[in-house]
Amino acid sequence: MIHPTRSRSFSGHGAAVLALLALGAVQGAGAQGYSGPKVQLTFLHGFTGPDRPVMEGLIKKYNDSHPNVQVRGQAQPWGTTWQQLPALVASGKAPDVVVINEDQITNFVARGAVSPLAPAELKAAGIDKTNFFGPLFATADYKGQSYGVPISSVAYVMFYNKDLMKKAGLDPNKPPRTRDEFLKAALACTVDKSGKKAGETGFDPKALDTWGVSLYNNWVGARAAYAAILQNGGQMVDKDQNAAFNSPQAVSAVQFLVDLVQKQHVARPNSTEEAELAAFSQGKVCFFPSGQWYLDRFEQQKMNFGVTFMPRVGGTVKDAAWGGSSHLTLPKQRSGYDANKRKAALDFMAWMTQPAQNLTWTSTGSLPTQAAVAKNPTFAKAPIGGIFDRLNSVYATSGYPWVGQVMGPFDQAWEAAYLGKKPVAQALNDGVKESNKQIEQARKNFQ
Amino acid sequence: MTITQASARTSTARAPTPRRRVPLEPYLYLLPHALLFFLFTVYPIGYGLYISLHRWDLLNPVKAFVGSEFYRNLFTPGTPQADFFWKTLWNTTFFTMVSVPLLLFAALGLALLLHRPIFGRIFFRAVFFMPGILTVSVMGILWRWMFDNQIGLVNAAREVLLGAPPIPWLSTEGLAWVPIVIGTVWWTVGFNMTLYLAALGNVPISLYEAASLDGATPWQSFRFITLPLLAPVTLFVFVTTALASFQLFGQSLLITNGGPSRSTQSVIQYITEEGFTNAQYSSAAAMGFVFGLIMLIFTAAQFGLMARDVKGGEG
Repeated sequence: MIHPTRSRSFSGHGAAVLALLALGAVQGAGAQGYSGPKVQLTFLHGFTGPDRPVMEGLIKKYNDSHPNVQVRGQAQPWGTTWQQLPALVASGKAPDVVVINEDQITNFVARGAVSPLAPAELKAAGIDKTNFFGPLFATADYKGQSYGVPISSVAYVMFYNKDLMKKAGLDPNKPPRTRDEFLKAALACTVDKSGKKAGETGFDPKALDTWGVSLYNNWVGARAAYAAILQNGGQMVDKDQNAAFNSPQAVSAVQFLVDLVQKQHVARPNSTEEAELAAFSQGKVCFFPSGQWYLDRFEQQKMNFGVTFMPRVGGTVKDAAWGGSSHLTLPKQRSGYDANKRKAALDFMAWMTQPAQNLTWTSTGSLPTQAAVAKNPTFAKAPIGGIFDRLNSVYATSGYPWVGQVMGPFDQAWEAAYLGKKPVAQALNDGVKESNKQIEQARKNFQ
Repeated sequence: MTITQASARTSTARAPTPRRRVPLEPYLYLLPHALLFFLFTVYPIGYGLYISLHRWDLLNPVKAFVGSEFYRNLFTPGTPQADFFWKTLWNTTFFTMVSVPLLLFAALGLALLLHRPIFGRIFFRAVFFMPGILTVSVMGILWRWMFDNQIGLVNAAREVLLGAPPIPWLSTEGLAWVPIVIGTVWWTVGFNMTLYLAALGNVPISLYEAASLDGATPWQSFRFITLPLLAPVTLFVFVTTALASFQLFGQSLLITNGGPSRSTQSVIQYITEEGFTNAQYSSAAAMGFVFGLIMLIFTAAQFGLMARDVKGGEG
């Protein structure tokens, strides 16, 4: 699966650079730096879009300020890296540092392509995981060990149309946070073509003029269901890493979303991502949950919109939204690999993930990876700042080696439930059954 | 080289040696292709077979021999592979059965129209040929937009012209094939049309003149002159189009992503999913071989049947 998320434009770049100067004083605190003999490192990453020059600028800056480490960055599409990495590791020619995304990392860890980062190593390099958002750092954890340090992050958010909310009699500065608030707001937004509101007699759900929320059937659409399940205390996999997205909590959370279409009529049936995106751009729908990567698009359109964290539609247990991330990792090297290189690589990882560098990186559209950066005044007035109070609740699909085997059937289950092809419980049960059959087979590969 | 040839010729002409050495030269000419062929065709096929018989992962030092396990999976009801491999193979076959006749008849029809000296025929030839130069991603996104459930042009036209309610093309089983098939015909018909145009240009006009002297109707001319003489190109178009249709991948991936409920997923998309999303390389390799074998049998049968037809047509 290719994320449409990993390359974006440079809004706010200038501001970020200014703020970077302000952060300069913090830089380097805690890190001892690499002081061994001069080494060269190869660094493979997939930032090939408009984010590439930003990454190259950062590498140059590191090289200029670290005379005994020379990092040679190489950008290539993510998919190429996923295909090449096993061969590179198997033949002992792995790059010194590789960026791996959240949906791939546990698989590579379980297959032995990535080496663990010992707590002592992290400490020596000055990497303190408590500085990062907890779930984000834990994305690269497996069986109690850390395997990567987050460098980039995207998340599922909820865009809202302020003008439309005002028109519906809602306070555009107070987007909903709970299930009740959300449902009330969505109902208020929903009006049919003859001007009747949802719930009024004569209301025609087949001819909506404006409506509450965008739901749709592809994998992006399924991430709303993912958030809802976590919010209700459900999980994708159980402690044995078998698929478990059919728990009562999961069924009830997904049922609420499906009811928004089938009972409340505040979302359109049979819709697609493109259609809902167009509808939100045209001011037809109040709430558009989707990836934060659409931010640029709405900003360029000069829409009067806001961004908030996904409200707790699934339940009341915790805040949760799906997120994607990229992590700096050290691939497994052949025996006899220069220990100095590993030390230098850790130093590079530490430097690259420091607040100053992370702030620079946010100019590519990434979210901050740590609270210190999220507090930066740059974001005070930016729409994206609307989700910063809950960045600690962004959860990636990670932690089990068979993300494909779980998320594929899950996306299918969401599609069947959303389209009304199966009752929610049956759709989720079928999905879990299919997923577990595939996991059972996959398990043999990881022993 | 010329010197070698010249001296070889003179030496054989003057004094023919009783036993000639094995001539090296032809093999040298063949060598570059043979090398590439072995490197990129024979070796990968052999290695693929090895992968399909082992529990194979590049990173796993142990590549246990499992024999036919991954092949047996395909024939054991209840395994995901048995369920989805045959389902997606049927999807692909269905697509082939629908799209091949369309691509054949549409191409022939267009060629017959544009072969005649009508006004603007160069323009129309270009118009029908042009979509073929688009990449599958452009074509896929275009047709997904055209048939979008809510904002698609097709539904908009239905509403404006017929006052009909929108149809959820992309999320209804069965209907989801419509954009894929129409898109594919629009995309590739120009190539087949060009082949037919070239073949039509080779039909001797004298045959038609003779036929009209004998009082043949246009239909008779078409049935007994044009069609038989087009038989070889029809065979070619039929076989290449059928093989191309069996390789359905990009269109359904981009237009419906195989949905809803895998109803438009092609067998190659499923093999890709098994290999690269699920990291089950051995299983994917085994499916690749079974699919390849089915294709081989199918092609052999097609050639057998059609070759007979062509001979019959000429005789």
